[in-house]
Amino acid sequence: MKELWKLKYSDIKKGLNSGEFTPTDLAQSLISRIEAEDSKIKAFLSWEKESILKAAAESTERRKSGKPLSEFDGIPIGVKDNICIENTITSCASKILENYRSPFHATAIEKLLAKGFVLIPRANMDEFAMGSSTENSAYQVTKNPFDTARIPGGSSGGSAAAVAASFVPVALGSDTGGSVRQPASLCGIYGLKPTYGTVSRYGLVAYASSLDQIGPLSKDIDGIIDVYSVISGKDQRDATSKNIPAFDPSKVKELPWKGLKIGKMKITSEIEPDVAKAYESLLAELESKGAQLIDLDFSLLSNSIPIYYIIATAECSSNLSRFDGIRFGQRKDPSGKLDDLYVTSRSEGFGKEVQRRILLGTFSLSAGYYDAYYGRAQKARVLIKKEYEGYFSKVDLILQPTSPTTAFKVGEKTSDPIQMYKADILTTSVNLAGVPAMSVPIGTDSKGLPIGLQITAPALHEDKIFGFAKMISDWASKVELPETIK
Amino acid sequence: MNLNEESLQKIAELSRLKIDPKDIQNFLTDFNKVLNYVDTITELNVSSVSDEDLYPNEGNSVRPDKAKEGLSRSQIESFAPSFQNGYFVVPKVIET
Repeated sequence: MKELWKLKYSDIKKGLNSGEFTPTDLAQSLISRIEAEDSKIKAFLSWEKESILKAAAESTERRKSGKPLSEFDGIPIGVKDNICIENTITSCASKILENYRSPFHATAIEKLLAKGFVLIPRANMDEFAMGSSTENSAYQVTKNPFDTARIPGGSSGGSAAAVAASFVPVALGSDTGGSVRQPASLCGIYGLKPTYGTVSRYGLVAYASSLDQIGPLSKDIDGIIDVYSVISGKDQRDATSKNIPAFDPSKVKELPWKGLKIGKMKITSEIEPDVAKAYESLLAELESKGAQLIDLDFSLLSNSIPIYYIIATAECSSNLSRFDGIRFGQRKDPSGKLDDLYVTSRSEGFGKEVQRRILLGTFSLSAGYYDAYYGRAQKARVLIKKEYEGYFSKVDLILQPTSPTTAFKVGEKTSDPIQMYKADILTTSVNLAGVPAMSVPIGTDSKGLPIGLQITAPALHEDKIFGFAKMISDWASKVELPETIK
Repeated sequence: MNLNEESLQKIAELSRLKIDPKDIQNFLTDFNKVLNYVDTITELNVSSVSDEDLYPNEGNSVRPDKAKEGLSRSQIESFAPSFQNGYFVVPKVIET
């Protein structure tokens, strides 16, 4: 049997639909790949071979009897450990939810299952999606498949590494300030943060509700388009879900090069020279094809990290208050007193970064500081939204590098929270504005580490992002993923 | 701005968290670094933002008022740390 794990998403879909191989063949090939290599990458916290093979066998039967649930029936998909799957542990890579088995499916999961996708949980992540390197997991550090001494990015680092290492053709992550796009960039794959409200957050364990959005990661653009078209659309169970139908893939059309208006940024000292070089060569190529490049002033967006951290941590201090040791999760009851139960369960259950963010959120919401911090950050967020509206009155798309650097070494930034936060400097404003953005691989640096391009579009214009990504797919295909893991 | 140890302990108390005494200095240093970093927003001019901008009227999202089955007692019991006869068990809060 061919090494099916080597195939990209679009070839897997083709092979399944032509009957070249079965979902069971595919699942077995991926399982053998995971068994052989995940000890070096640590992309998964745990995975159940039997349940994956059972789901694949059911799909094989459906295909054999000519009744597949959809053209996606049998395609395996990795799932980040903060997206609920019924009767499966959803720990958010935390100690406090170590043994929490979800009693229900997230809406995104229900939709994938209805189309026959085979779920491969539980991809590692930064605890409660808080981090930019997947070093904040309570269990293990995920490694970058290009160089195992380096991080894969975060917080969806397990999902990104699993795709890059060919453990799964596509995976789900969640993006609050760049947590899908930044690891996609550092792992040389595609990663989409959809328009806020287009994918239901029901069953996604909340970090910062006004910013969080589930998004797909894949080695090719078709994987992103297909999964997004399946998981998007109105959900009655999420009040922030927009009243729109699921994304229609037939809307994706290549854009005309001539007259295409592209907003670009000025390279600052924060962008590594190799990243800047890859970005500028792509822009030059686009210009030679007839696109019009327009300089945008991003000075307001440079404040987006402080605005993001105040809003995100305020929401996290509120969202994570439900983890009190009473109804679910870990319970520590040292003295038999209610207050001690709360304090000990939370102090022992949450890692340091999560505690730091809860404290910052409690601080900015507390009497005396609310107006100066939280109230002001909310107003500044409105300015960011308006800034984007202004940009999109002048340009069709905005292009920026996704991450200012390529993958850094494990441990390099853990001692300095600010350095770590700056890893998301180019992605956070997108979440504050609620617009969609995707990272696309466009090259490698002198060490062979991937560089990603962030494509941002106006709200509800994922079709433009996908169309443009297809137009530059030759460029993206120059980034070859390693077949073997170093 | 910088927080002192007393203020940090107060915030920890409000957050229902206890910072290990041996970690307090490191926590305070890191916390103040983050606070000084986010402090830059206090210099942003946000006077052009009105209340209408802040709370746009996007309408309410409502569901049909229909009773639906929720989680069963046995499902709740399966994830609750301590559950007896249909109730979550908590330490005694009222002295008799």
